[in-house]
Formats: sequence, structure tokens, C-alpha cells
Amino acid sequence: MKSLLFKTASDYLLPLLLLFSVFMLLRGHYEPGGGFVGGLMAAIAFLIHSFAHGLKETRNIIRINPGMLMPIGLLLTLLAGIAPWLIGQPFLTGLWFEEPFRFVGVVGTALLFDIGVYLVVIGATLTIMFSITETV
Amino acid sequence: MNNILVIAPILLQLFAGTILLFFWTKTQIQKVLSILFSFLSLGLGIWLFLLTWKDGIQFTHAGNWAAPFGISFVADLLSATLVLIASISGLAVSIFSVGTMREERLKFGFFPIMHFLLMGLSGAFLAGDMFNLYVWFEVVIISSFVLLTLGSTKSQLEGAIKYVSLNLLASSLFLIGIGFVYGLTGSLNFADVAVKLSAISNRGIINVTAGIFLVSFGIKSAIFPMYFWLPASYHTPPPAVSAIFGGLLTKLGVYALVRTFTLMFGGDEFLGIMLSIIAALTILSGGLGALLQKNLSKAFGYLIICHIGFMVAGLGMFTEVAILGTVFYLFHDIIVKTNLFMVAGLVLKINGTQDISKLGGMYKSYPLISILLSIPLFSLVGIPPLSGFWPKIFLIQGGLASEDYFLIAFIVLGSFLTLWVVAKIWAEVFWKNAENLPVKASGLYFNQMSKANQSMVIIPIIFLSIVSLYIGFAAENIYVLSEKIAADLMNPQNYIETILGIKTILP
Amino acid sequence: MILAVLSGFIFAALVPFFSKFFKRTIPFVLCALPILLFIYFISFLNQIELGSYLMFSYSWVPSLGIDLDFRLDGLSILFALMITGIGSLVFLYTANYLKGHQYLDRFYGYLSMFMASMLGVVLSDNLMTMFVFWELTSISSFFLIGFNNEDAASRKSALTALGITGLGGLVLLAGIVILASVGNSYSFTELLGSSDVIKSSSSYHWIIGLVFVGAFTKSAQFPFHFWLPGAMKAPTPVSTYLHSATMVKAGIYLLARFTPLLGDTYWWNGTLVTIGAITMIYAAIHSLFRVDLKSILAYSTISALGILVFLIGIGTEKALLGAAIFILAHALYKAALFLITGIIDHETGSRDASKLAGLQKVMMPVAIAGFIAALSSAGVPLLIGFISKEVMYEATLQLGQWAIILTILIVLTKIFLFVAGFWAGIKPFTGPLPKEFQKAHLPSALLWVPPLLLSVLSVVFGVFPGLLEKSLIQSVFSSISGSATIIDLKLWHGFNTALMLSILTLVVGFAIYWFLQPSEKNFQKTIRFERISPEALTRDFGNIFSWFAGFWTRFFQNGYLRNYVITILAFLTFLMAYRIFIGVKIHIDWDQISTVTPSEIIVVTLMIISIFIAIFSKSRTTSIVALGVVGFANCLFFLFYSAPDLAMTQFSIDTLTVLLFMLILFRLPKNKTYSSKTIRIRDGVLSLIFGTLVAILVLEVFEYPSSTDISKFYADNAYVLAKGRNVVNIILVDYRASDTIVETVVLVIAAIGVYSLMKLDLNPIKKN
Repeated sequence: MKSLLFKTASDYLLPLLLLFSVFMLLRGHYEPGGGFVGGLMAAIAFLIHSFAHGLKETRNIIRINPGMLMPIGLLLTLLAGIAPWLIGQPFLTGLWFEEPFRFVGVVGTALLFDIGVYLVVIGATLTIMFSITETV
Repeated sequence: MNNILVIAPILLQLFAGTILLFFWTKTQIQKVLSILFSFLSLGLGIWLFLLTWKDGIQFTHAGNWAAPFGISFVADLLSATLVLIASISGLAVSIFSVGTMREERLKFGFFPIMHFLLMGLSGAFLAGDMFNLYVWFEVVIISSFVLLTLGSTKSQLEGAIKYVSLNLLASSLFLIGIGFVYGLTGSLNFADVAVKLSAISNRGIINVTAGIFLVSFGIKSAIFPMYFWLPASYHTPPPAVSAIFGGLLTKLGVYALVRTFTLMFGGDEFLGIMLSIIAALTILSGGLGALLQKNLSKAFGYLIICHIGFMVAGLGMFTEVAILGTVFYLFHDIIVKTNLFMVAGLVLKINGTQDISKLGGMYKSYPLISILLSIPLFSLVGIPPLSGFWPKIFLIQGGLASEDYFLIAFIVLGSFLTLWVVAKIWAEVFWKNAENLPVKASGLYFNQMSKANQSMVIIPIIFLSIVSLYIGFAAENIYVLSEKIAADLMNPQNYIETILGIKTILP
Repeated sequence: MILAVLSGFIFAALVPFFSKFFKRTIPFVLCALPILLFIYFISFLNQIELGSYLMFSYSWVPSLGIDLDFRLDGLSILFALMITGIGSLVFLYTANYLKGHQYLDRFYGYLSMFMASMLGVVLSDNLMTMFVFWELTSISSFFLIGFNNEDAASRKSALTALGITGLGGLVLLAGIVILASVGNSYSFTELLGSSDVIKSSSSYHWIIGLVFVGAFTKSAQFPFHFWLPGAMKAPTPVSTYLHSATMVKAGIYLLARFTPLLGDTYWWNGTLVTIGAITMIYAAIHSLFRVDLKSILAYSTISALGILVFLIGIGTEKALLGAAIFILAHALYKAALFLITGIIDHETGSRDASKLAGLQKVMMPVAIAGFIAALSSAGVPLLIGFISKEVMYEATLQLGQWAIILTILIVLTKIFLFVAGFWAGIKPFTGPLPKEFQKAHLPSALLWVPPLLLSVLSVVFGVFPGLLEKSLIQSVFSSISGSATIIDLKLWHGFNTALMLSILTLVVGFAIYWFLQPSEKNFQKTIRFERISPEALTRDFGNIFSWFAGFWTRFFQNGYLRNYVITILAFLTFLMAYRIFIGVKIHIDWDQISTVTPSEIIVVTLMIISIFIAIFSKSRTTSIVALGVVGFANCLFFLFYSAPDLAMTQFSIDTLTVLLFMLILFRLPKNKTYSSKTIRIRDGVLSLIFGTLVAILVLEVFEYPSSTDISKFYADNAYVLAKGRNVVNIILVDYRASDTIVETVVLVIAAIGVYSLMKLDLNPIKKN
């Protein structure tokens, strides 16, 4: 589906959807959203781009192998979980900064955790979709 | 004892898998890292076991939410021992994989997935929450599925379809069961559920729920009539994979059965009878199936089923001495079955085939290896004083006490069938002369492998054989351990009070 | 003491590492072990006279009451001396018999292992420990019978022997556990004290039944006897040591050992007498139809074992005394005969009794040994065999109403054994030497000294029974019978019926020997009866069992996934249905259920329609889309129950999945086979029942208002403690974050799985 219209549209859609996905990620604690949905949004963004431009170009834009996002995300979640150990608290206890940040709201290990989930979802979804489209 | 480090074994494996992912194509580094992490996890296993042995139940409430609001991880003596034994098996398989796994599979994520599988197992053993147990089961199912299909050979895929379908069916049933438990109690924490379930007067509905769990875990444990996925799939992947499967996956199901039935569902007569009948038929099906097999791994697969029957028999009798037998058998069985599949792998590497009718001459050509291989083979049969002998005494005693004489008969039958199968394997594989075997196209033969790789294959077998010998000769220690575990299981008061932090009176 | 017992194992364990050394060493070094042990045990003789015993205890598994306790009394010391004494001779004999064999070292390893195991059996006071050693004798026997491992017949015999003795062993284990639970101990010495309790308990019959099976399988009693002739495939030293002198006597040992504990009841005596009698006559007759020397000896051994069981069954003091003497007498002459057979085989290459003759011209010492051994087996005076026979006859004559028939049986047996013994020990040496055996010559002294020595002992003890009386037999007798009677072994008992019978035996036996020759033709005549022999029946049973195994396995493991699923669901449905209708009081409170809104009804209807379309449509694409619709309907439910996060996630995943399916579906071939109508109906009915049951259960569960503590806690604390207002998200990343982190890993694994499935193909490349 490489029509010009689609191509151009996807060029604009990609950054927009990516931004939207981050927004979904950050608002998760207060409104519907969160790491899972955010990650899916981002993945869909890249998918639309790949349908329009072809996989190779999309891969160029992402630059790193999407598979690598998975261990990075896992490390982040693991980190968020172990951090409380440093102060003698059980695994995955929520630690929070005192003051809320602008735009984002209260920041703590839960957010770090969610970001990790976000990255894993992008990585996993893209790996799956790319593998299938490349082989089929 | 509230101990934040209780889940360290789980997190170590998670960390291991994640780090290994970073080295996706660098297989040499993966090999070193995997063995390193396995050693570390063995160390953690020993630490946790010793701690639990001295100090009693260790637990942590994740997120610092008190039970039953958050998710608890509990290391009682049974869980800690199983984590230890899993780490022992894991180390053996790790080394064995380095020696035998083909490069191609290593390049496509074998080691990360294996460590994730070990993580799932540890997580399940340490879980104190129902839904958490479910997600650990998920990890185990999906990672075992990936390991099963890694390589995509025809036989692997055929086996994998049956494997994953039936296991996903088990998961769905598990979820339904969880739904019912939550509906009845409003809670998912094991200890809390135990308290709340005991307060319900309509035992009937609890027993139906227990039945759903029986089937769900039963599928995982490969008991009759739910075992079909095992003979269809266990012999298809590379031997290292079969080893970790044969040793641990079905035992996870048995663990789940033991834990839920001793802690939450108690001794219902109907279920006890059902379990006893199932156990007998399981022993029968496994034994009969093993008789017919011409392929080493397939024969061992059926023997897994047969011996699961022994363990479930103890659960069916539901007395302290019977549970003792089950627990002891569990420990012995994990080590022996892991070892057996590695043995089959070694035979394959040496001869290029696992077909019993074509194999032969190992006694003549490899005397020292033959002696080594006789240890797991005869431990399986239960020749005294090897490890398989002792738990049978307790199972027979249990059968006498609860007057389940037909179970005793089936235990004798199962032992005899195992003896016959192993004796035949010995006569065919070791004694008889070898035929001229066609040269296998893929993979290296044993004598073509480097000395380093050869030792990677033999060392794990020696290691696990030594552990088996220890369990057999130092049966006293294992008995004391199992006795304490059985006593704790049949009196869950301590478990519940420790986790919930309150004094409760169970009716 | 423990070192003495375990020394054989230690020796065996060292063998693999010193194999080259063993193959070259002079024989006497190798035999040092049994000789030393023999001397060690002799040293205890004077300590245990007159029925006392010594105990040596070592702790092993104290929590179970299983310790390495060794009890040295008359019975055990007799066996210990036999084991080590005959063992020494066999070790020496082997050094020459198997000289140069590639597996000589392994042979000695197995022999030592066997010797140690057998010592363990006879010396253990703790029944469970004894069982450990019992099984080890079966295993070492397995290795020894299968020693000529490249010969298929050897392998088969080894398997048969292991199968029978192994099964017997397992049955014995059950018996021991029951016995121990009734008597509250595994220790034989302790159990002796509660003998009356045990004999009167309700499990008594089970105990002796199970013990009998164990003993009969090991000691080759009818109908478990047929493994022993097969075991003759083993090298002669093995046949001598295991299958005549020691291992097969383990069952006899067990019965003798248990006599004071379990014996002297109707069932005990009756069963033993019956089985023993059948065995002894049956086997004795068989031995006359055999031609292979080892076969003749095998059957005569079985018969002798039968006699022993028979005597123990009779249970009178005379009978037990007879048994005690016969154990020793039989060991001496039978071992000698086997060794001689080995020499004959070694030198002439033949064991055919119909062809062998005249060998005394070339091996006179062997002939002398054979001559004496045969006479002892026949029970000729001046030999120990005679003394044992006399006592036997006296024993049966004392039995009142049964005396006649039992005496007839034993006399007949003895007559046949006379002939068998002569065939084995005398016939090969008499007569002219056939041409084909001209090359035979006297072998090394290592080979003929042992049998000669054994035979000489038969004479010595026969002429001077007093040598044995005080030192050995008295204590043996006391330990078996539990009585304090002083025995008196005399050469001459006066002119009594027993003597008459002895003379009768000798005369008739000699007559038969004169007229009857071992011949192949006679052997052929017995083939007809093979079909009803226990061996054939067992084989037939085995075949039926194999067939059944195949049937059962193929029925369940039929290869069809749908059958597996159906079996499991049917089983679960049965479980649930049974329980619901028997155990549960179904009471559905319809008022409790909240009202159903129109939107819910629409969504559910949509789901149901989609499901039916998915099942019945013939096009894959339609089915996939229909399943997707079910997923979307699920989304709507999430929305209804205020979980927009879940709805969004479900929606995205559903879309992606449908897309993925589409991508792949185009590559699949068209679906040609659909299941038949009956199958569909069957599946449909089962699914409906299952679904209905689950629904009933769910409704029933609602009867019990569950505590909502946890949900309340989540809602209350979401903002305060978890700093958020979206409870669902907070549950995911905080309250139950452990679930989430694990599920994330699952995602990773799935991704890797897909990747590897797509990219890695290790199938062997097809060449056209």
C-alpha cells in the first residue's frame, strides 16, 4: 500500500502517534492509560509507517533493533523493583519523590516501572510483527 | 520471618535472562554467562534452603502491602528445597547445553529462554498468591513452548502443537478455578484463602472447585487421563531441553497439587478416592507405554508418567506418612529424570541414534561411562540403597495405614515394569552388539567433539549421579527433611499464621 | 563386622580403576579376600555354640529404625562360611577357567559384589537392610548371568532371572513392611519377642504369602523355577557359586530364619510342604530327561531346594535338623559337581551327557572328585549325604497319617537324584574314551583342586559327623528351631525303617542308572509338555500383557489432539457433574443477581452469534473475523464494568491479532476436511454441558457473599498510598505489580519465540 497519500499521511502520523503514546504512558496513574496501551500505540505508529514506506525504512528510523528494547525495558522494571531493597523495603515497594513534577505528576518507581513496560511492549510487538511480515 | 531477599533466586534468573538477551549473537559469552549464573543460583538455592531450615518460613510481601492485599512470596521448607533442587538441575542442564546444543539454536535465544524458564519454576515454587502462581505457570508454559519449537523441525512442531494446546487448556481451567476461589473468598492469597474457605459450610462447592484445580494441575502433571501431551512432545527437542522438561515441568504440577490440596482444599473423601484411582491408572498407563517404546527418550517419557503416579498415590492417601513418601519421591525424581534424559542425550551423541533395537555395545566400548550411566538407571528402578527405594517404603506404609491395598499392588506393579524396562534397555543398549549405524548428518558425534565439550557432557551426569547417590545413601537426612515438610503440610496452621501475621483458629 | 560385609563392595568398586592390574595378577592375590573372610568367620565358631548369638550394630537410618545390624548365630554363620569358603574356591577356579578373558576384571568385580551382598543377606538382623542386600544379589546375579553379553540367549536368561527374582523381591518388600508394622520393628531379634502377636494378627496370611512369593522366586520353587535352568548360560563359576551353593539358598535361608518367628502354623507348614513336594518331584523327574550336564545339575538343584522347603515345612525337630545338614551337604557335593562339569566342558568342549565317557583316563583327580560327589548326592554311607538322607527319612516317617505319602515322595525324589548325580559325576568318567575327546588332558591344579577338596570334605564330615555336630550344626539347628534340644549325629542309627529305605533307594537308583541313559530322544519326548509348563504359561501371559499394553497405549495415545481435549473435558465434566449433583445443594437466589441491561443483552447476543459463525463457517477468514468480534464484544464488557484501560488494551491487541492472522492465512492451503456431523454434535453437547455446569457453579458461588476487604482496600488507598486515581492502573503497577513484571517477561519470551520460529529452520534439507 505504497500510495503517495498514505506515505505522506504516515510521515505526519508517526511523530504524532509517538507523542500520543508517551502521553498515554504518563497519564496512566490518573486516567485510563499506562505502559501497555502507550506501548501499543507506539508500536502501531511504527507499523503504519512500515506499511506505507516498507519495513527497511522503518527499521532505519528506529535505528536500533527493536528486539533490543526488550531487555532494556526489563532492566528498567527490574531496577524499579530492586530499588526499595537499598532501603530495606520489599521488592516493588513504591518509592516517590516528594514534590510532583510539572506535566507529569508525582514521579516514583511506579513510573520507572511503567516506562520499562512501555519499552518492552514496543519491542515485543515490533519484533513479532516484523518477523511475520518479513517471512510471510 | 519477613525477609526481603526471599525472591532473590527468582530475580537472579530474571537478571540472567535479561543480560543474556544483550548478547544475542555472541554465543561464546552466553555460554560462560549461563554457567556463571547457574552457579550463582545454586549458591542462592543453598542459602535459602539453609535459612529456611534454621529459621522457618521466610516470606516477603511485594510492594510492602501486607497480606492479603498484596502479593506474597513464601519460602517454606518444601518451596526452598524445590528451589534448591531446581537450581541443581538447572546447573547440570546449563553445562550440558554448552556441550551439546547446536550453534544455531544458541543464536536464537536458547539461553535467555532457559533462564526465564528456570525463573518461572522458582517463581511458582515461591508463590504465595493464586494469580501470581498462574502467571508463573504462564512463564513456564510459554518458555517451554519456545524451547520445544526452537529449531522448527517437523517432529518438534508436531509435538509442540499438542503440548501447547493442552497446556493452554490447563491454563484456562486454572483461571476458571481462580475465578471461583475469588468469588467464594474475595481473596487470592493462599493463606487468606485457606482461612476463608474453611469458614464456608457448603463443602460441596469447594470440592467442585478443587476438582477444577485437580484437572488443571493434573494436565500439567501428566496424570491419567490428561497426560497425552507428554509422550507426544518430550522426545522431540534436543536432549538438554528434554532434560529440563522431564525433571521439572511435571513436578511443578505435582507441587501445585500438593500445595493447594494440603493448604486449601483439605481432605475430601471423594477427591481422595479419585486421586487414588487416577494414580493407579497413571502408573499403569506410564508403565505399559514404556514397555512398548523402541526409542530411549520416549521410554523415559512414559516412565515419567508412571512415576508421577507414585507421587499422586501418596497425595490420594492423604496421610502424613504418605505425603512424606510423595515429597521424598519428588526430590529423588527431579534429579533422576533430569539425569536420565541427559543420559539419553549422551547415548545419542555417542551412537547417533536413540533406537534401542539398533543401539548396542556400550558396555564393551565405554566401560567407565557404562558404570556411570548405571547409576541413574538403577536409581530410577529403586534398587536399594539407591534413591528410588526409600520413598517406596513410605508409600507402602501409607497404603497399609489407609487400607488402600490396591495402591500397594499398583506400586509393586509400577516398580516391576520400571525394572523390566530398564533391564531391557541395559541388555539392548549396553550388552548386545552394535549394528553398523548410518552416520547422522547434523551435529557432532561424541568422539568428534573437543575434550572440553566432551567433559561438558559427562560432568553434569556425574554431578547429578552423585546427588542421587547422596539421596540414596544418606537417606536419613532426606527422611528427616521430608518428615518435617510433611508435618508442616498436614498442619498448615503455622504457614497461615506466619503469612497473615495473626492467630487464627481453623475448624 | 561391617567392614567384613562391605569389603566385597569396596573391592568391586576398585575394579574398574585397576582393571589392567587385575588381569595380570596371580590368582592367589585375588582370592585373598574370600579366604580372609572365611578365616574371620571361623574365628567366631566357638563363640556361638549352643544357640547363642552375637550382634554388631551400626547406625544408618535411625529415624526409620533401619540400621546395619548384624546377627551372628548358627544359621548365619553356616551360610557365611559357605559363602566365603565356596567363594574362595570359586575365585581360585575362575582364575584359570576364565584366564585371558577380556572382562576378567569385571567378572571378579561382580563376584565380589555378589559375595558381599549375600553376606549381607545372611548376616542382617534388620529386615529392611536384609532386603537391600537381597535386591543387590538379584542385580549382581543379573550381571553375572548376562556375562556373555554378546550372546542373545544369555541376555534373555539374565532378563528372565531378574524379572522373576525382582518381582519376588518387590512382593517381599510389601511383606516386610506389613510384618514390621504389625510387630513394630524392623529388627528380627526384636520381632522374635512378638512372635505370638504376629501369628495371631489378621495380616498373618498376607505376611507369609508375600514372604513365600519372595522366597519361592529366589529359590526357584515351582512355579517360579524356570529361570534357573536358563541361568545356566552363565559361566560355570557363576553356576557353581550362585545357582547351587549360595544365591538360590537365600530363599531357603529366609524361610529357615523366619521359622521361629512365623512358623509352626497350619498355613505355613501346609504351603511349604506342598510347594516343596511338588518342586522336588517335578524337578527330579525333569533332570532325568536332560542331556546337558548343567541342565541335569540345574534341575537336581531345583529338586534339592524343593526338598529343603519340604523339610522346613514339616517343621518337626528332626526335619529341621535334616534341613540344616542337607544345606551343607548339598552345597558341598553340588558345587563340586558343577566345578567338575566346568572342567569337562573346558577340556572337551562338550557337556553332552550322552556322549561323554571314559574321562578318568585323562583326568583321574577330577574323576575321583566326581565319584565321591555323586556318592554323596546319592546318600551312600560314609558320606555326609548319607547322614542327611537318614535324618530326612526319619523325619517323614514320624508324621503320622501323612508319613506314607510324604515318605514315598521323598524316597522317589532321592532315587531320581541318585541317577542324576551319577550321570553328572560318574558316567562321564567311566567306559571307553571316545575318539573326539582324546585330546583332553588334566587341567591346571587350580581347576581340579577345588572340587576334590569339596568332595574330601564330604567324606570327612560323613565319617566324623562329630566334627560338625558341636561346632556348627547344633547352633544352626537351635537358631532354626528355637529349641534347646541337643542333637546327636551318628553314623549308625541302628536297623530301622530309615536304613531300609536308604538301602532301597540305593538299589533302585543303581538299577535305573544301569538301564537308563541320558539321551536326546528322551529329551524330545518332553517337548510336548512344554506348552503347559510354567515357563510357557508365563511367556503366554507376557504376550497377552504386551498386547494389552499396546492396546491400552494406542487407545489413549491415539495421536489425535481433539480426542485428547475431549477426554480431558469429559473427565472434568464428569467430576463436576457428579459433585454438583451429589454434594452441593443448588440454590440459586435469582433476586441477588443484578438486573440485566439491554446493552448487555445485545453484546452477549453478538458474542453468541459470532461464536456460531466462527464454528460453522467454511471460510477461515470469516472465522477469524468472527473471533475478533468476540474479542471486541469483550472490550465492551470491560467498558461496562469501568475498566477503560483493559478495554483499550484488548481492542488494540485484538486488532493486531486479527491482522496477524490475516497475514498468515493467505499462506495456508485451503481447508478440505471438516469433521463429520456426529462428531460435531458430540463436541457440541459436551461443550454445552460443560458451559452449563460452569454457569450453574458461578451462580451458586454468588450465593456466598465474599468479603470485599481487598477491593475496598485498593479503592481507599489508591490516592493516599499509591499516589494515583486510576485504580486499575495502580493495581497493575503497584498493588499487584509482581504479576505485571512477570507478564512482561512472558511478552518477551513470546516475541523471541515468534522470531525464532520464523527465522530458524533446522530441518534437514531435502535433496530433490
